[in-house]
Amino acid sequence: MEQHKGKLEIARRAALGLAVAAAVGYGVGSVKAQESPADGVTKDRIDWGLLMDMSGPTSASQSIWVAGFQDYMKKVNEGGGIFGRKVNVLAEDNRFNAATDKIAFEKLVGQTPVIAISGMGTSASQVALAPTIKAGKVPIVGTYTSTSALSEPVTPMVYNGFCGYKQMAQAGVGYLAEKTGAKAPKVVTVAIESAGGKEYHDYVAEAVGKLGGTAQLISVKVTAADITPQILELMAAKPDFITIYGVANTSILTMKALGQYGAKIPAFGITYLGAPQIFKAIGPEAGANYNFISCFTPGGADASAGNAEMSAYADKVGRGAMKEDINYVAGWVVGQMAAEALQRTGDNPTRAKLVETLSKGFTVDSKGLAAPFTYTPTNNTGPVVFKMFGYDYATNKFKAFGEYADYAKYTK
Amino acid sequence: MFQQVLFSGMALGSIYGLVALGFAVIFKATEVFNFAQGMFVVCGAYLAVTAIAILDLPFPVAVLFVLVMAALIGAVIQSTLIQPLAGRPILAVIMLTIAISIVLRAGIEIAYGPPARTLTTPMPSGGFAFMGLMISKLHLTAALVSWACVILFGLFFRYTSIGLLMRATADSHEAATISGIRVNTMNRLAWGIGFTLAAIGGVFLGQLQIVSTELESIGLLALPAVVIGGMQSIPGAVLGGLLVGVIEQLAAAYISPKASDVAIYVLLLAILMVRPWGLLGQRGINRV
Repeated sequence: MEQHKGKLEIARRAALGLAVAAAVGYGVGSVKAQESPADGVTKDRIDWGLLMDMSGPTSASQSIWVAGFQDYMKKVNEGGGIFGRKVNVLAEDNRFNAATDKIAFEKLVGQTPVIAISGMGTSASQVALAPTIKAGKVPIVGTYTSTSALSEPVTPMVYNGFCGYKQMAQAGVGYLAEKTGAKAPKVVTVAIESAGGKEYHDYVAEAVGKLGGTAQLISVKVTAADITPQILELMAAKPDFITIYGVANTSILTMKALGQYGAKIPAFGITYLGAPQIFKAIGPEAGANYNFISCFTPGGADASAGNAEMSAYADKVGRGAMKEDINYVAGWVVGQMAAEALQRTGDNPTRAKLVETLSKGFTVDSKGLAAPFTYTPTNNTGPVVFKMFGYDYATNKFKAFGEYADYAKYTK
Repeated sequence: MFQQVLFSGMALGSIYGLVALGFAVIFKATEVFNFAQGMFVVCGAYLAVTAIAILDLPFPVAVLFVLVMAALIGAVIQSTLIQPLAGRPILAVIMLTIAISIVLRAGIEIAYGPPARTLTTPMPSGGFAFMGLMISKLHLTAALVSWACVILFGLFFRYTSIGLLMRATADSHEAATISGIRVNTMNRLAWGIGFTLAAIGGVFLGQLQIVSTELESIGLLALPAVVIGGMQSIPGAVLGGLLVGVIEQLAAAYISPKASDVAIYVLLLAILMVRPWGLLGQRGINRV
C-alpha cells in the first residue's frame, strides 16, 4: 500500500512537473510570438521607417518634417513608448531621387525591416513604387505629398498625411474670392515647371471655373534668380489674386518683384510655402499681401492644447526655431497619426495587424494642430479642412484668419 | 517689355560675370577648372548670414568680415588641398574640386541646419521708374558693385606690382619661379581673390532670393559664362556673364523658363564649335 502511494506520489509530481514545464514552455513560446523581427517588431522596440529628402533640393522643407516626426516619437518614448516598446525611427535619405528611394524602400521592407513607412516626399518615387506598395505588406502611413498614382483608387496600404492640392486650391480660391469680392475672379497661378505645378493649377482652374472666373498659369524655373519676364506677364494679366506653387524661392521672387513694381495684388501660397523665412525675406510691405493656405496650424499661431504641447517640446529639445515651420507641424501630426495607429493595433503588432486596424478606419485628433481628420475604408484623403495664415511682423508670429470650421464650406 | 527684360538680364549677368571673373582668375593662375566655384557662392551667402544675423555685426564690419574670411578660406583651400596636387594629372585636381564642393555643402548643412536663411542687409530695396523702365534698386546695386569689383580688380592686375607678379606667374610658372617669384603665394592669392569674388556674388544672390545650398546651381552658371567669354580672359569672363544673364532672361520671356538653360548651352556649343577659345580668349599656339 505504502509502495503504491509512493508510486502515485511520483506520478503526481511527474505530472505536475510536466504541467509546469508545459506552462513555462507555452509562456516562452508566447513571448517569442510577440516578437516579429521580420515586421520590425522586437520585444522592446518597434521600427518605423521614413523616406524623405534630407540632403537634396527639397531638404530644406522635408528634413524639417522629419524633425517634427522624430520629436513626436521621442516624446512618446519618453512617456514609456507604445505598450512598453520604444518606437525606433529609421529615417532614410532619398536625396529627392526616385532610384535612391527605391533602394531605400527595399531596405526598409526587407533588410532593416520596419512595420510601416511615413513620408515618401518624392512624387516621382510614389508613382514608380505605387504598384509595389499596393501589392506589398508595408503600409504607407502619412504621406508628405499625395499623388493620384499612389492614393487612387483607395487602398488599405496608403494613408495621406498632408494637405491635398485640390483642397488647397478650393479653400484658397474660395476664401480670396470672398475677401476680394470678385464675382468672376481672374486668377494667376505662378508655379514651378513640374507635374505637380500643372496638377495644382488644374485644381485652381476648376475652383475658379465654378465661380465663373478664369485662371492662367505662369511657369517659373525652380532655381531662378530673377523672374522679371514672368512678373511682367503676370501684371499684364491684371488678376484679382495670385496663387503660388513651388519652393520658398518662388514665393520670395514673386512677392519681391511685385513689391518692386508697386503692385499690391493679394496672393496665397500652398501649404509648403508657409515658412517664416519666406515672410522675413519678402519683408512687411510685400508680406502684407501674402498668405498661405494650410491644414496645419504653425507653432505659436494659436493657444490650442496641441500647439502648446508641440511648441513646449520643440523648445525643450532645442528646435524652437522649427516649430513655426509648417513642415515641422506636419511631421509632428503624422507622428501622432503613427502612434495612434500603433496604439490601436494592440500589444502584439505586426504589419498585417496594422494594415487590418488601419483599414477599418480611424480618426486623428491632433488637439488643434489640424482639424480632426478621419480615414474610412473608402476615403484615405487625410486632412481636408484648411485655414488661411499670414504673418504678424510686429510679434514675429503667424496669425490665422478665422477658424477651421469657417473654411469647411470650401472643401465640402 | 524687351528693355525691361534686357535690364534685368544685364543686372543678373553682372553677378554671373563677377563669379565668372573669380573662376577665370583661378584658372588663369593655376589652370584648375574649379567646379567648387558654385559652392563658393553659397559660402559667401552663409558668411554674410553669419556676420549679419548670427554675430549681429554692423553692416560695414560684416562686409569686411565676409571679404577677409572668403579670402582666407580660398587661400587655405589652395595651400592645403590644391598645392599638394601640383604636377598631378588634371583629372585628379578636377575631382578634388568636386570633392571640395560636396564637403562644403555637407559642412554648411551640418553647421547651419536644413532651413534656408534670410539675408537682410541695409542695401536699398524696392524700385523706381526711369525712362519708362522699372529699376530694382537691389539689382542696380548688385550690377554697380559687380562692375566696381571688375574695374578694381582690372586695375589691380594692370597697375600694381602684385598684380604684375600674378600675371607673370599665370603666363609661365617656370619662368616666374626662375625670376624669384613666390609662385605658391601668387596661387594662394589667386584662390583668395577667386573665392572673394564668388562670395560677393553670393551675398547679392542670397539677398535676391533666400540663402540655401541651392544657390550653387545659380553660381555654377559662371562655368558656361567663362567658356563663352574665354577661359583665360578676364574681360571675357565678364562679357560671358552678361551674355548668360541676358540670354537667360530673353529665353524665359519669349520662349519658356525651361528654355533659358537650353539657350545658354546652345550658345556655349556654338562658341565651342566656331571659336573654342571663347569670344575674348586667345587661341593657343603650340610649336611643333
